[in-house]
Amino acid sequence: MAFKAKMRIEGSTATVRLEGELDGRSAPELNELVVRAADQRVERLVLLLEDLSYMSSAGIRSLVFAHQKMPEETEILLVGTRPDVAETIRLTGFDRSIVMRETLEA
Amino acid sequence: MFACRLKVDGSGASIAGPVGDFVGALAERAGLATRPAYWLRLAADEITTNIVIHGYRGRGGVVDLEGGVEAGGVYLRIEDDAPAFDPRAYDPAPRLAVPPSVRELGGYGLMLALGKVDEFRYQYVGGRNRNTLIMRLTTSGEAHGGVDAERAGGV
Repeated sequence: MAFKAKMRIEGSTATVRLEGELDGRSAPELNELVVRAADQRVERLVLLLEDLSYMSSAGIRSLVFAHQKMPEETEILLVGTRPDVAETIRLTGFDRSIVMRETLEA
Repeated sequence: MFACRLKVDGSGASIAGPVGDFVGALAERAGLATRPAYWLRLAADEITTNIVIHGYRGRGGVVDLEGGVEAGGVYLRIEDDAPAFDPRAYDPAPRLAVPPSVRELGGYGLMLALGKVDEFRYQYVGGRNRNTLIMRLTTSGEAHGGVDAERAGGV
């Protein structure tokens, strides 16, 4: 499935919807959006992952990149992460630094 | 029993596409369930990416993949001509001990590759690295759902 990433910035929140597969080919696209969000000095980065079917270590690197690119107090929220993608994040210990929720409202 | 092969040129920016397609077809042909198929593909993606970036240092080289079913399991053998490297020697513990805000960006691939396959073997044979990934099939034909990270590299 082709990768798609679409970002919307409203107030101090950047929301990025990801679709398809986040791997070595697609991760640079997400990194570009992270840089744009960081330039806007957002306080919250929300990644909507319901339609993200695959994440390799390249995707983990993007999450670490986001963590380091944003100011320390920026909240990174992952919403609707599929079980295997969530397990990938947990294996790298990155779940301790981000918030994962089933829905945006939860 | 069956076997299939793929030879890819590791000089491109990413071989994730053909490797993913190959492992997907192997998993389907072998009757591997969705979850172990996901983890086998991830492991293959990480091992081959590691070969291209660190083994061949981006200068290109051949990566051979062979997969099939034998002895109650789906196997995927990945071979390359880069300098000898046993992925089991990689210790992720120091990296995991550091908070993400100050971590290095990379270094997660091998952790993920070894974390969920049922068995991982490494041999250096005839001047080639040979990584073998195995996902077991149960007697009912369904594959195991993966194992905990602590079992990785126990071969």
